[in-house]
Amino acid sequence: MVQNRSLIDEKGKRTDGRIIDELRDVKIEVGVINNADGSALIEFGKNKIIAAVYGPREVHPKHMALSDRSVVRCRYHMSPFSTDTRKSPAPSRRETEISKVIREALEPALILEDYPRAAIDIFIEVLQADGGSRCAGISAAAVALADAGINMRDMVSACAAGKVDDKIVIDINDTEDKEGGADMPVAYMPNLQKITLLQLDGELNSDEFNRCLEEAIRGCLKVHEIQRSSLMEKYFGNEKGVKE
Amino acid sequence: MQETKRKYVIPGDVVAEGNLKPLVNVFRNGNSIIATRIGITESTQDGAKVIPLSGVYFPRANDIVIGKILDHSSLSWSIDINSCFLAHLPAQDVFGRDFSPAQDDMGRQLSSGDIIVARIAIFDRTRDPILTIQDNDMGKIPTGDLIKISPTRVPRLIGKRGSMIQTIEHATSTRITIGQNGIIVVSGKDRDGVNLAINAIHIVEIEAHTSNLTQRIKQLLNVPESEIENDDTQPSIEMNNTQTNDDEFNSNEADKEGVINSNGSK
Repeated sequence: MVQNRSLIDEKGKRTDGRIIDELRDVKIEVGVINNADGSALIEFGKNKIIAAVYGPREVHPKHMALSDRSVVRCRYHMSPFSTDTRKSPAPSRRETEISKVIREALEPALILEDYPRAAIDIFIEVLQADGGSRCAGISAAAVALADAGINMRDMVSACAAGKVDDKIVIDINDTEDKEGGADMPVAYMPNLQKITLLQLDGELNSDEFNRCLEEAIRGCLKVHEIQRSSLMEKYFGNEKGVKE
Repeated sequence: MQETKRKYVIPGDVVAEGNLKPLVNVFRNGNSIIATRIGITESTQDGAKVIPLSGVYFPRANDIVIGKILDHSSLSWSIDINSCFLAHLPAQDVFGRDFSPAQDDMGRQLSSGDIIVARIAIFDRTRDPILTIQDNDMGKIPTGDLIKISPTRVPRLIGKRGSMIQTIEHATSTRITIGQNGIIVVSGKDRDGVNLAINAIHIVEIEAHTSNLTQRIKQLLNVPESEIENDDTQPSIEMNNTQTNDDEFNSNEADKEGVINSNGSK
């Protein structure tokens, strides 16, 4: 990837006015879909994404069921109106791939052995896209899974980092993704301190790579705080205290 | 009473440190006990656990459930128990040992669409649950209003030693049958009473985690003060729920014990 124009101005501000280690505004609302067992709406900057979780439920077709654990099925989909030019609603190659990586990013956190012969379905619908939608989708899906009461080893939080103007920046937006030097989405289990997704688009040397990973994990931890507070808000409201 | 320590957790949070036994909805990671669900922790000398606040019904042996007959084969009925597995009720359980598929008409006893109360006799996750109706107050439910609540709210709806459900039943002159799978049948002669009971159940479901809920439900149902005191002292025969520190939630052992018509006869 070759960068043609500068994306960070002389004051150190990025295209959307953030500094290099600043996350976009993140807001998560839990339980937005009554028909789902668990759901969440995430607003990650200009991204608006709904995640809905169903299950554990019966597997159809039956032959897909596994006798020792649950199957996880994940669909990432962008609405036709989520981008500036209409996107065909048919699943694209890109969406199929993202569905797969999101499933693989979430599976390590789920205790699937608790639900043999069952299925857990995750639907991620992008209503408005602005770069970093897979990370936002993973974060929303993790909240929805917790809301659905599926046994989890840990939450999964995701955030990207990358290279813009030869600087390592956190939480890449759409312009930086398209025109910047590198984009590295990372999904992370904050308490177990394990990485469940790591992709890299662009070129980084080993020092840049390490810094980039560090920054991305720092972003994940910030996202985790927001995930936690949204779940606490939904389930315990203002009763934040600990009862002895 | 044992000393318990409670806090609110989400998956991945540390419930307790040290050499405690992990009970339910927790796992051990090194020296810590980690929560796997959103809920309220309960750590005692016996171990640490999380009482979940969300989730669909997952069957357990000896749970009392309310299910709907979907179909039958020549040897058993298949029943929807609001979970990811279909349950089976063997015909022998209903007709007795000498059941013969050639002579006995299964449709005479139970047909599709019937609602039954049953106990999960066998379930080990490798096969679908097997039900039995060979206990008191079990079998077909002839009439009533069917409602669904979250199965995680069932212990709260029952209340400490059945206090909550008895309050609702007495105040509305209804009979309420609760399944651990979150399905409830409300029956009664008085339509207004049934509606009021359903209303109260929905309020309990929504406000399950708040304190003084029983008092507020009593106010809603216009239970006079004197009766409130009587209710508290009334011992329950059917409920074998163990006591917990407060009446916010019954422990998981408690909800295993099960419920059925708290005022007795079928």
